Formats: sequence, structure tokens, C-alpha cells
Amino acid sequence: MFLILNGAPQSIPEDWADETLLSLLREAYGLSGAKFGCGVGICGACTVIVDGVATRSCVVRAGDAQGLTVRTIEGLGSAEALHPVQQAWLAAAVPQCGYCQAGQIMLAVALLEQTPRPSATDVETALDGNLCRCGTYERIRAAIQQAVELS
Amino acid sequence: MRRRDILALAGGGLVALVGAGAAVGALVPVIPRRPLPDLADAVGWIAHRDGRFTLTLPRAEMGQNIATALKQVAVAELGVPWEAVEVELHDTALPRVRATVGSESVMQFAEPLAQACAALRDALAAGRQQGLVEVNPRPFRELRAFQPGGASGTSPEIVHGREIVTGEPLYSADVRLPGMLFGRVLRAPAPVETASRPRRWDIDAALRIPGFVAVVEACGPAIGRARGLGILAERPGVLAAIAEALAVEWDIDKTSRVRDISQVIDIDARLAKGALPHTVLDGTPEPGAWDVDIRLDIPLAAHAPIEPRAAVASWDAGALKVWAGTQDAFYVRDVLADAFKLSTEQVTVQSCRIGGAFGGKTICTVEAEAAALSKAGAVPVKVQWTRAQEFALGFHRPPSSHRVQARVVDGKVTDWGHGQVSSHILFTAAVAPAWMQRGTDLLLGDGGVARGMKAPYELGRAQARYDAERLSVHTGPWRGLGAGPNGLAIESAIDEAALAAGIDPLAFRLAHVSDVRLAGVLRRVAEIAEWGRPPAPSAGLPLRNRTGRGLACGVYKETSYAAVVADVAVTPEGQVKVTKLWCAHDCGLVINPDQVRAQCEGNLVWSIGMVLSDNLPVEAGRVVAETFADAPIPRMSDTPPIVVDLVVGKTTLSGAGETAIVAGPGAIANAIRAATGQRPVRFPIDPAGFALAP
Repeated sequence: MFLILNGAPQSIPEDWADETLLSLLREAYGLSGAKFGCGVGICGACTVIVDGVATRSCVVRAGDAQGLTVRTIEGLGSAEALHPVQQAWLAAAVPQCGYCQAGQIMLAVALLEQTPRPSATDVETALDGNLCRCGTYERIRAAIQQAVELS
Repeated sequence: MRRRDILALAGGGLVALVGAGAAVGALVPVIPRRPLPDLADAVGWIAHRDGRFTLTLPRAEMGQNIATALKQVAVAELGVPWEAVEVELHDTALPRVRATVGSESVMQFAEPLAQACAALRDALAAGRQQGLVEVNPRPFRELRAFQPGGASGTSPEIVHGREIVTGEPLYSADVRLPGMLFGRVLRAPAPVETASRPRRWDIDAALRIPGFVAVVEACGPAIGRARGLGILAERPGVLAAIAEALAVEWDIDKTSRVRDISQVIDIDARLAKGALPHTVLDGTPEPGAWDVDIRLDIPLAAHAPIEPRAAVASWDAGALKVWAGTQDAFYVRDVLADAFKLSTEQVTVQSCRIGGAFGGKTICTVEAEAAALSKAGAVPVKVQWTRAQEFALGFHRPPSSHRVQARVVDGKVTDWGHGQVSSHILFTAAVAPAWMQRGTDLLLGDGGVARGMKAPYELGRAQARYDAERLSVHTGPWRGLGAGPNGLAIESAIDEAALAAGIDPLAFRLAHVSDVRLAGVLRRVAEIAEWGRPPAPSAGLPLRNRTGRGLACGVYKETSYAAVVADVAVTPEGQVKVTKLWCAHDCGLVINPDQVRAQCEGNLVWSIGMVLSDNLPVEAGRVVAETFADAPIPRMSDTPPIVVDLVVGKTTLSGAGETAIVAGPGAIANAIRAATGQRPVRFPIDPAGFALAP
């Protein structure tokens, strides 16, 4: 069993097949960007991109990612060469605690890949399911507009 | 320094009093110690080695981005480039620093840090490279960090920002150690105040689950009176399967009396039993009819940080190391030392960035679970609570019930009465057992319930009193403590008083305010929101929507000020949408304006939650919410454009983390009143009560 993780094939260990994709990423592969927030797909802190679609990795069985392309925040850009969405997030100083932000960023990346110039309604429809208790929503909106300009 | 000395005495006195009155040593819980920072400690916060400076952050970083602000202070005082200072989060090897609570980090820590940096700068300039530097405090005005062109007024890229947007490990749950197992402590589906313990479980069923490692009976201290049963697994996903297979039967104390919260937290029922014991304002209103007489009820609410608390523990030769996302690593260390019969030197707690705390991550829970399971398994163990555990086992904002009364003569309030019944906040049941609360109730009351109950107005013969009742659910500090609910109650009543007087709410408030800083933020917010103009029609929303605009203000801990204007639209069905928020905020000298704004924004989103959604459901004395669907928090679509304007002072440093929450909820409630003609009195509001007649 394998998946394509951030562009490279990666085997799914047999005994991790029944874990969630989130656990596989975090604990088997050591990719700590996607976060556990609720475990039932409500909060969106675990959002990654699977075959181009923003996906709640806490409700996907790891074994079901067999053969799929999985992108996590670690694959977006490096600290030296950030993805435009990451740049915009820093420029707008979006994060407070930061815990939900990897999920927010991956959702924004997926949105902009589908809809390069999203309307305010597009942004709200796409992002409304990802929760942020610190209340950074206004800055997320601003950062997405900034990312559109950077792209 | 005078103010600090007074506070230090009060803090020390409290601990001694409680300890001396107890006389049952073994039962005395470990009490958080909260010394104020002094210069001797500050020496350890900043160090110079091989041309580089290390700032060991004396605060927990939980999203207030205090690492950035304090680095700004250090960089400015040292006179070095931004890159020359590395920030590290502290562990408990640092001399004890008080918990990161109460919006105190800039107020209490910026100056000692600057003093230490100034001394280090001078020592380096004198050619010293080794040893400890003695800090001789210099006058505040001589500190470069706080002079024009120093640390204040700039907003550099936030510390940890790059790690956050690239997914680098920062949080306690991100820690991975070789051979690490995953743990959970199961507890009975019962109120935390009811004694419970595991009676029997199906070990054979658990043994059949691949990845099962062990059941651990010695799984750490009870939470409240709920004793647990620990489980260990090779992978995190196995834990839920083990829990189900074990089918634990619990012994639950049937004699425990669970009182209905809605009956206990009922101000009128409480007043019928006699006077409230604790006094905040001691005036005596004249008897007679009131012009304003409203009752407000505000329910239990969760902190609901997106990060469920997590800890990783590892034992080595009898010494314990724990990585934790905690607001008080030293208190966690002390509790762990007590629980595992260790000296404090044998326990190290490493602070990790916290994924949201809001007052809720001030106690020791998951850290002790991880430590116990790691000890039993003789391997490192990670424990992260489930969302359901966060709701069931954490402590929460207490429910509160208020009756607020005002008499208005010739446009002025002549008499004021505010009675409140709530549950404990500072003396949280999560730390203080019932017998200890009886002592604190008798001698001290609860300053957390009282916080913000002193209305910031000249109100004639003004009385404010409260009582705190222990509940089956644990309550404690939640952003703003009592100041959020008290502000909502006071600002609702002041608005009603303005209506009774027939005076514009801004003019009415200004006529009752003597504090120039409070008047300042009121005038500023009126200016930026163009108070007096009708609210903007809500674009794109149905014409039958009613719109309204509301104003409120407040003071937090007598040191920082906020005033808020809210616009709302209310649908014919009574659904409320906040369409715009303006906030003027004065916390004195501002180090990082962008992050002060961010704190205001957060407070305003919390204000929306307080009025429209915050509610944690309880049945049979225990929290029954398991997911965010059961206890929703504000979403992007609930959040309107927000305008924040900072009134900036020159010298006084204060806090920003909990200020706007004293004004935001009142402004929104007053806007709903303006839109509908109905006063919101039960929160979160039920749209049915604000629907148009069909």
C-alpha cells in the first residue's frame, strides 16, 4: 500500500491502514502540520488536499488513501520559498494561537486552485466550515485576497 | 513598583491563610503560586552567548503573540538587530514565573525584561562576557524600549509565524519520542463532582485488538472525584476501539446530590433566600419603584480552543519530563511532583506553544495522565484529550444570573442595584475542594465573579452584591472572568436607563463617566462609527430585516478601556446577524499595535459568541456536549467587518487580551434591542423570541 505524499510515493504500513489519515500523517510520517481538533470532521484543523480536494483527514481511513495524491502544508513551500498563500498569511499576521491555521491554509489553497479569483461569497462558502476560536476570520479573508494578488 | 508590592502581599497572604486554616495537610491540594516578577528573576530571561542573545520567554505563548512583543522589547533595549535574538519557550528550570493569565504579560513583564536587557547591554559594553549581571533598575523613562523609536508602535513578522504556516512542530501534541505509545484515561459518564471509579472491564476483548498494549489502573489523580482507567496503545486510533471493547462498568456514588443548575443559578430564587454575602459596591439604594429592572441569565460556556489539551511524558532514571501546552508550567510541575512523590527538581515541564487556552489550560490534568501512563508503561506516552473529554472534564465559564435595577431622575441614575449568583472562578472547584471553598467563600468571596461588577459610572446610591454556588460541573477562569457577563448585564441596564431617560445612549454614558480614558474611547468609537447616523442597510439581505445599532463600553481590571459599536440585522424569523463592529481601545503604551488589534478582533468574535451561541449543555449534572455541533462557536459567516482604533498612551503599560469582551456583548445586545424593541435577557438569544408576528 502506498500514497503519493507531497509528490513522492510513501508506503502505508500495514498496521496503520485502519488508523485515520491524520494519525498516519502525524504519527507515522511525523508531519505535524495537520492537527487533531475534533475527530469527527467538524472543525477542519486536519484539512489536507487529497487528489485536489480539501479533505478532513481525521475522518479518512489511512488505507483508503491507497494510490491517492495527498498534499499537506509541509509540501506547500519551504521557509525560504513560501507559497503565495503562506506569504499572504504572514503578511496579514493571521495566526493567533495558530493551531487551526494549517487547515485554513490548505482549504484556501484548494479554493484558489479551483477558483483563482474568488468572490467574497466564494471565500465564505469554502471557508465557513473551518473553525478558529481565536477569531481570525477577518484576517483569513484579507489574506486570501492578498494571495490572489500575489499569485 | 508600589502597586506590585501591594499585590505581592495580597497573594502571599491568601496562600498562608488557606493553608493555616486547613490543618489536614495531606488533603490540601497544591495551590497555584503566582509571584510577581522581580528583577532577580528577569536576569534569567535574557542571555548572551557567542554573539547571540537568547530570550527565554517568561510567559506561555497561546496566540496573544507575546513572544513577538517581548522580543520587540528585548531587541529595542539591547539595541541589536531582530535576527540577533532567539526566542525560546521556558521550561521549569527557569525561576518560577506566574501563570500566563489576566492579560498581564506586557503590563508586568515588559519593564523587568527591559531592565534586564539594559543591564546586559551595559555589561557587554563594559567588556564583560561571563557570569550573572546584576540589574540595578533605572527610571522607566530611561529605558530605550519605551522611548519613541524604541519597541513600541511596530509590528514585525510574528515569532513562530513561519513555523505555523509551514507546519513545523510547535505544540505539545507535535512532540514525538522514540518508542512512544499513545494513552487515554477513561472516566465514568457522571458529573466530575460525583465520586466514581472503574469496577470491572473486559480485558479479553481488549487483548484481541491489534495495537492494544495495556490497561493501567494507576493512571494518575482523579479529576474532581472521577477516578479513571488508563489504556495504552501502539497507535492513536486504537484507543477508541479499546475503550469500546473494555466496556468498563463504573461504580458511581448514588448518594451524591446533583442540583439542577437552572434552579441554583437563579438570582430571584437566591434573593428570596436572603441577602447576597459579597459586596462590590456598598451603597444603599432608596426603596421604591425602579425605572429599570431587568434579569439576565448567561449560561455555562466552554473555552473550546481548537487544540484539545495534550501532553507527552517521559521518565528517565526516576526523573520526569513532560511537554505541555499549559498556561502555568510551574503549577503543573508542582502538581506532578506531589502526585508522583518527587522533588520539584526531579520534574521538568517544557512549555509548548498552546493551541488556544483562554484561561482553561491553567490546571494539571492531561499532564498527570501522560505521566502516570508513561510510568506504568516504562515508555514515553502521548495523551491528547478527545473533544468530548475537553467538554466533560475541563472547567468552564460559570453560568450567572443577574438582576440589575436603576432609578433615573432628571436624566441621571440616582440608585443602582446589581445582584448576581454564579459559580466559582478564581477558587475553581477544579483546584479547590468544597471545604476549601467554604473557607474562601466565608473570608474572601471570589474576585473572579466580582470582576467587572463595579460599573464604571457615577450611579448615585449604587449597590452590587453576589454569591457563588458550587455546581456539579467545574467552573473557572474564562476569557475576562466575570467581566464579560457583568459587562453584558451592566451595559444592558445602562442602555435601558438611557431609554427610560429619553437620552441618547452615548450622551447618557458620557454624563455618568468620570474616567477620562473611558470617555475617550467612547468619543473615539462614536467618531469612527459615525454614531448618530442610522445603521447601514444590510446589503443583500431581505428588506424585511430590521436593523439596529448599539453601543457599550467598559474597563478591564481598572487598567484598560474599550468601547464598541455594533450594527445588527434581524430577520423576520428573529435570526440575528452582526453586520459591522467598531472598537476603540486604550491599553496605554502599545508595543505591537497589530497584535493589540488582533486581540480586539478576537474579543469581538467572542462577543458575538456570547450573545448568539455560547452554551454548554448539561444533563443530570454532567456536560453532555461531545462535538462542536453540540456547543457551536462563531464561524466566518458570523463575523462581520471589524474596525479597531487604538487610543495610544505614552507611559502606562496594560493588557489587551480580555478588554473588548467587556463591551462587545453589550453593544450587540443593545443593537438587537434597537432593531427589535425587545431587550435580550436570556443568552444565547433564542431567535423565536425576536421573530416578527406572522
